[in-house]
Parts: sequence; C-alpha cells; structure tokens
Amino acid sequence: MTPDLIYGLTGIAVFAIGLVGALCAQDRLRRVLALKLCSVGAGFILVVAAWREPPASPDPVPHALVITGIVVMVSATAVALALIRRLQTLEAEADE
Amino acid sequence: MTDPLILFDLLLGVSVVALAVAVMGARDLFAAIVLFVIFGLLSALAWARLSAPDVALAEAAIGTGVTGALLLKTLHHLRYVTGQLDQFAAPGMTPAEPVPMGVIAANAAFCGLITLGLAVAYLGAPQGGPGFDALVAEAMPQSGVEHPVTAVLLNFRAYDTLMEVVVLLAAVIAVWQIERGLSDAPSPDLGQVWQGFARLALPAIVVVGTYLLWKGSEAPGGAFQGGAVLAAVGLLLLLSRAYVPRPAHRGAARLLFVLGTGAFAAVALLVTGGGRVAFQYPPDQAKTLILLIEGLVTISIAVTLAALFHGREPVALPSRRDHHDT
Amino acid sequence: MNNLMSLDPMTLALFLPLFGAMAAFIAPRAASVIGLATVLANLGAVGWLAFEIRAAAELITPLGGWAPPLGIALRADGLSVAMLALTGAVGLLVSFSALDALRDARQRQYFWPLWLLLLTGLNGVYLGTDIFNLYVMIEVIALAAVGLTVLSGTREAVRAGLEYMYASILGALLFLMGVGFVYLQLGRLDFAGLIAATPSAALSAALALMVVGLLLKTALFPLHFWLPAAHANATAPASALLSGLVVKAALYIFLRLSTYMPLPDEILVTLLGALGAGALLWGSVQALRAERLKLLVAWSTVAQIGLIFIAFARAGQVGLVESWKAAALLILAHGIAKSAMFLAAGRIKDEVGHDIIRDLDRSAIRPTLAQFTFALAAISLIGLPPSLGFIGKWSLMEGALQAGYWHWVVATMVGTLLSVAYFSRVFAGFLRFDRMQGALAEHKGWALADLAPLTLALAAISLGLMAAPILSFIELGYPFGAMP
Repeated sequence: MTPDLIYGLTGIAVFAIGLVGALCAQDRLRRVLALKLCSVGAGFILVVAAWREPPASPDPVPHALVITGIVVMVSATAVALALIRRLQTLEAEADE
Repeated sequence: MTDPLILFDLLLGVSVVALAVAVMGARDLFAAIVLFVIFGLLSALAWARLSAPDVALAEAAIGTGVTGALLLKTLHHLRYVTGQLDQFAAPGMTPAEPVPMGVIAANAAFCGLITLGLAVAYLGAPQGGPGFDALVAEAMPQSGVEHPVTAVLLNFRAYDTLMEVVVLLAAVIAVWQIERGLSDAPSPDLGQVWQGFARLALPAIVVVGTYLLWKGSEAPGGAFQGGAVLAAVGLLLLLSRAYVPRPAHRGAARLLFVLGTGAFAAVALLVTGGGRVAFQYPPDQAKTLILLIEGLVTISIAVTLAALFHGREPVALPSRRDHHDT
Repeated sequence: MNNLMSLDPMTLALFLPLFGAMAAFIAPRAASVIGLATVLANLGAVGWLAFEIRAAAELITPLGGWAPPLGIALRADGLSVAMLALTGAVGLLVSFSALDALRDARQRQYFWPLWLLLLTGLNGVYLGTDIFNLYVMIEVIALAAVGLTVLSGTREAVRAGLEYMYASILGALLFLMGVGFVYLQLGRLDFAGLIAATPSAALSAALALMVVGLLLKTALFPLHFWLPAAHANATAPASALLSGLVVKAALYIFLRLSTYMPLPDEILVTLLGALGAGALLWGSVQALRAERLKLLVAWSTVAQIGLIFIAFARAGQVGLVESWKAAALLILAHGIAKSAMFLAAGRIKDEVGHDIIRDLDRSAIRPTLAQFTFALAAISLIGLPPSLGFIGKWSLMEGALQAGYWHWVVATMVGTLLSVAYFSRVFAGFLRFDRMQGALAEHKGWALADLAPLTLALAAISLGLMAAPILSFIELGYPFGAMP
C-alpha cells in the first residue's frame, strides 16, 4: 500500500460524496458545500497523479493546475453565494 | 513495508472521507460549515504529505479559509433576512419540497455511473505514470525562477494563470452586479477582545503574506497564497469595521481589481516582437518581470477576495424597494 | 509600437476583448462606446485570421515560446475560425441591439464588461489546444454567462441563474476530474497527446467524465433542466448570447474531443444520438406547451441541441469523418437564427408589453418588423430551403440514409414537424386580427432596434446559398485529421 493509492481512493470517495450532495441536497448552501467537496476530490486526483516515490520530487505541473483550480473554485463559490443571498432577499420581500 | 507513516495516511484518508460525509449529513448548517473547514484543513495536510506544500498552502488559505469565511458570511445574511439571527441552530434555509421518486432514481443512477467511471479510470491507470518531470527540469534554467511550481504558473503555463485571474475578475464583476447597496445585515459582533486582537494581528499577517509572495520564486508560496493571507487583513478590517466601503471608493476598487490582470496581460503583450510571441519573456528580464507580475497580481487577489467577502457593490440606494423592480 | 506589429491575429482575438472588458469596467460611463469598439476590433482580428487561414490552412502559436506539452499553444483552423466568426458577427449585432434594449443604466454598465469577458472566454475555447486550459476557459464563460443571466435582476432570473451556476460548476468539475485522469494516464494535456494516445478502458472513462460535464454545460437532454428558465428569464440581448453562442462552446469542445479521442464503442455514438432524439422530442413537446414566447424559444434551443447530436451520430462511428460537418453546419445555423429569434422575441415583448403567446393576437400593437424577423428565423430553425438550417438538416439526412440509419431520418422528420407545430402557435398570434377589439395602435418605431435581429435572420436564410464555400472553409486544416 502506498500513499498515492490511499489518497487517490480518498479523492474518489470525496468526489462521489460531493456529487450525491450536489444532486440530492435540498438546501442551497449545502449544494455549494457539495460542489466544493467535488473540487477537493478532483484536487486529490491531480496531487496524487503528481506524486512520485521519494526521494524523487513530484511533478510541479499538476500542482500549478490544482492551485489554479482552487482560485477558480473560490470565484465560482463567491458568485453562487451572492446569488443565494440575493435570492433570499428577493423571496423575503415577496413574502412580506 | 511497515512504514508507520502509512498508518497515518490511512487514518488521515479515512478522516477526510468521514468528514465529507459529516459535512453533507450535519443537520445544522453552521456545524456543516465548521466541519467543512476542518475537512479542508485535513485535505491540505494530506496534500502536504504528498509533497505538495504549495497546493496545501493554497487550499488552506483560499479553498478553506476564504471559502469558509464566505460561507459563514452568507449564513449570517440568510439568518438575518429570515429573522432567525437569534437562533443558534440553523436547519435548512430553503423550504424543502418532496422530490419525486423518478428524480431520486435518476440521480442515483447518474451518481453510480459517474463513480463507476471514476473507479475504472483510477484503477486502470498506470502506476507512477509519465509526467512533465523531465520537460520541466530541462526548461527550469530558462524560466527565471528557482521554484518549479512558480515557473509553471508564471512562465510555462502563464496563459492559464492569466485566465485564472480573469475568472477572479469575472467573479467580482458578477458579484457587484448581483448585489448592491450598503451592508444592511449587521455584521457579527466581534467583541472588544477580538477587535483588539484583530488590530494587533494585522501587521503580522501583512508580514506573513508579503513573505509568502517573496518566497514564491524559490520556495513554496507565491502570489495566490500571499494574496489570500493579505485578503485576511481585508476581512479583519471589514469585520472589525475599521474599514467601511463607501460609494466614493468604487473607482479605486475597480482599478485595484483589474490591476493584476491588466499588468499581467500588458506584460504578456509587450514582450512580443523580435520573433518572440506573447508571454515569451526575454531570458535576462524573466525574473524581474515575473516578480513584477506576482506583486501586482497579489495586490489584486487580496483586494478582490476581500471584495468577494464584502459581497456587494457599495452604492447608496435612495430607497431599497424602488430598485428591485427594474 | 513596433513590438505590437508582430502580433498575430489569434493573440489579438484573445487580448482585445480582455482589455476591452477591463476598460469597460473601469469606465462605466463609456462602457457602451468601449464595448462597441472592442467588438468591432475583435471582428477585424477574426477577419484577418480568416484571411491567413485561407492561405495557410492552420496557424499555431506556442504561447511563451514553450511548445506543448509543456506550454500551451493557440491553434486555428477552418472550424475554429468559423466558430470565431460566428461569435464575432453575432456578438456585434447583439451588441448593437443591446444599445437600445438595455434601458436601465445599471444593466448597461454591467452588460459590457460581462459580455466582453464572455467573448474572451469563447475566443479562448475556439483557439485552445490544451484540455486544462479549456477548463479554465469554460469557467470564464460560466461566470460571465451567469452574470448576464441575472442582469434583469428579477426573482425568476436570479433563481434560474443560481440553478445555471450549480449546473455549470458541476459540469466544469466533472470535466476537471476527467482532465485529472487524462494526466494520470498520459502525463500530458494537449490535443496532440490525445491523438497519439493508445485507447484503453481507463482513458475512455476519463473521456466519458469530460463528455458528461460538457453535456451538462451544453444542456443535452436529460441534463437540460437548467436551460429553459435561464434563457427565458434573461434580458433579450443576454438570452441571444446565451442561446446563440454560449452553449456552442461546450458543443465545440465535445466535437473536438470525441474525434481526437474516439468514443470506444459504436453503442455510445448511438446513445448520444438517442439522447439527441429525446431532446428533440421533449424540447418540442415543451415548446408546444409553453405559455410564454421566450420560454417557447428557450425550449426550442433544447430541441435544436438534440438535433445537433443526431447530426453527430447520424452515420455511427465510422461516419464521424463526415458527420462533424453536418453538426458544425447546424451549430452555425442555430447560432445565427436563435440569436435573431431571441432578439425579435425581446422586441415583441418590449412593444406589446408581455410575451404571453395566447394573448399576442389581442394586442393593439403590431410590431410588424419584429414579427417578420421572428418568422424568418423560424424558417431557418424549421429548416426550409434555402436557409442554412435546411442545408444542415439535408446533410444530416443524406448522411444517415447513405449509412442506412433511417431511424435518425425519422427522428429528424418528426422533430421538423413538431417545430412547424410550435412555431405555428406564434404565427397564429401574429396573423389573426379578429380577436382584436378596436383599432390597431401605432407601434413605437423600430428603425435601429429591429435592424440587428433582421440582419441576423436574413443571414440565417441567405447563408444557405453559400453552404458550399462554408463547408470547404471549415475543412481547412483538417480539423479532425492528424495534428502536427
């Protein structure tokens, strides 16, 4: 057993959990959390793919890709959350 | 093969998965967000263990820290709007509607198929497969920096990174468009101790952020991690009300948002000529140009992340009602 | 300045809209002027690129001087230039109509930076050769597109925008997961690496993940659930951009990928065709039931995307060498006609004051030119000669018959009949006057605002006459052959 296998399976499990949540969760905020889990799962796969048996150093390209992915995801999350806040405000006003 | 670290890996992997389940399963949204933050930090730890310190830093700072702050801010807003601010527990905010069985079955089938695909793709992959290792090693001397991840981000695949800051810019434009007005929800009361702590912590965070940025060219760290740490300064300033965004500040804010993208794109274009294409820095100036880009991008990232946290264009609305019908 | 002379048109097509977006964001008061100038300049760059491609068939620029797989190259061939030209030309006309259609100062201020960022992303997709880069590009597109969806600020639009955002993020993450597995397999991410790869089950699974993500983004039935509300509730120029251009980006990536990394099994090609047929039927039935004009047009997009997938699958795995051309023709035809139709529907809604189909014939106002435009666009979407839509459908059926796949012909015929049926509901509202009480009122002038949709609709019809040169152009650079 090697770390890459353990964390590779971890990544797949996390992605799958996020996927179920993204499709099945009712709450808007929780669906954002679910999508964020998926992105961490994808990050796991790329980091695992970059890993090399020490003392060899890992491939830096996937690391750069994951960093890009993290920044992209926080941007998308921020927009989704802004939509959620706006929608809640609009719905609260319609209810009054 | 009795490496004690393997036991640690197993434990960490299982904890990460268990936390992911808990995030989805927790009744209370506040608890789910807190669990998510722990989940993110443990994932970052796992990535550090897989010799990816840059990624671990970015995930801890941006993927977990900033994202967690954004989520908590949104939860606070939702509770305020629905009048549940005083309640400790926050069950689902969206009214639950019964889901038809057909949809559930379709979703389950979809998830099952995708997971099957994941498993086939992962287990069928060659162990220790090929990569960019040799290519990067060969190109490093011409990159202008010593740290491979920085070389990839700002030289070899600089185009990706430019587009990544464009995504960040698109996000802040979209957020400003979606929400406007001066903050109406009261910000959470930090209390005197926290306010004092925030003021004391600010200089320290600035130093850490700048250090991360500076180290980026030779050691783990760089614009994104540094930017996130500096964004924490912005978050503290906003939370402690030491800085309150005003309509008059919008022009400066817009300039700061586009500063990084603009400078990056301008450098990428201006280096062309004499047989060089876009992004092809002259070798003797590569280090200077990369540091210049990183510095300006860091400022933009910090300001943009803080603005995403603030979450609205600071406009004085004459009357809140009139605007919603437009 | 000397430096800038050595720029190539591909770099220009990327950086012009990007700088335009930043300028329009910094100077909101001048946003319209900056926006129009940028869109014009972009079309100029695309024209220059088309000129070069006619001579050279393909152009490659390795950005940063790093050749793939380490670096990222921009590459243009006939198909990518056709997509860039579609985007540039439709974008220009939609921009003109936005001058009139967006009355609210705040909408105008935000439309331009978002639309120019969208243009940056679209151009980036059509010039991209690296699958991770494509992931970043589809995220640029997604965020800008969601911003445009909610521009109207209504509750329905924000709700639809949020659903769109969820679907977009999930689609992008599935794509990213696929990218991760491709790296795990091949150790590289450029198109040339995909072409050179030896097929394996694991690689196919990676491809499948990416394709599912793209299908979600392009809204192929049954992953279309987010599209109708999002496209129907946006403001008219935004709807035109979303329906005419945005869904095409994911379709284009799908076309490229599925031919560079061939689908492993004939069954999968058939499955995609079957989903297309499902989309065609379901979208048409929903369009028949829609109560509002813009919703009908949005559902017709779902149906038409199904048609494009039928064209893709029309002759099975071996037929793909030719089938992609039928799909590409339908993509171009739909892009032009649908944006014309959404703009015309927006004009009708503006003039009449509502877009409830049942009550269109009760209106005292007859926005004649917009109705005429709508009808012209419908001719291309239904596929009557000589429109571009007709050529696309003809080439679909011809290929299917040659391969003996008559079921695709039947599906296309049924879809065509249904499209006649649902568009007739609208025409009936235009043509019947007997339910009108009182005299017809004057409508409020139409000169400039109707010009853009009318031009688009006329183009959709008349480009059918130029089908032969278009077909020979998109073949330039052998888009789906070997790549150096």
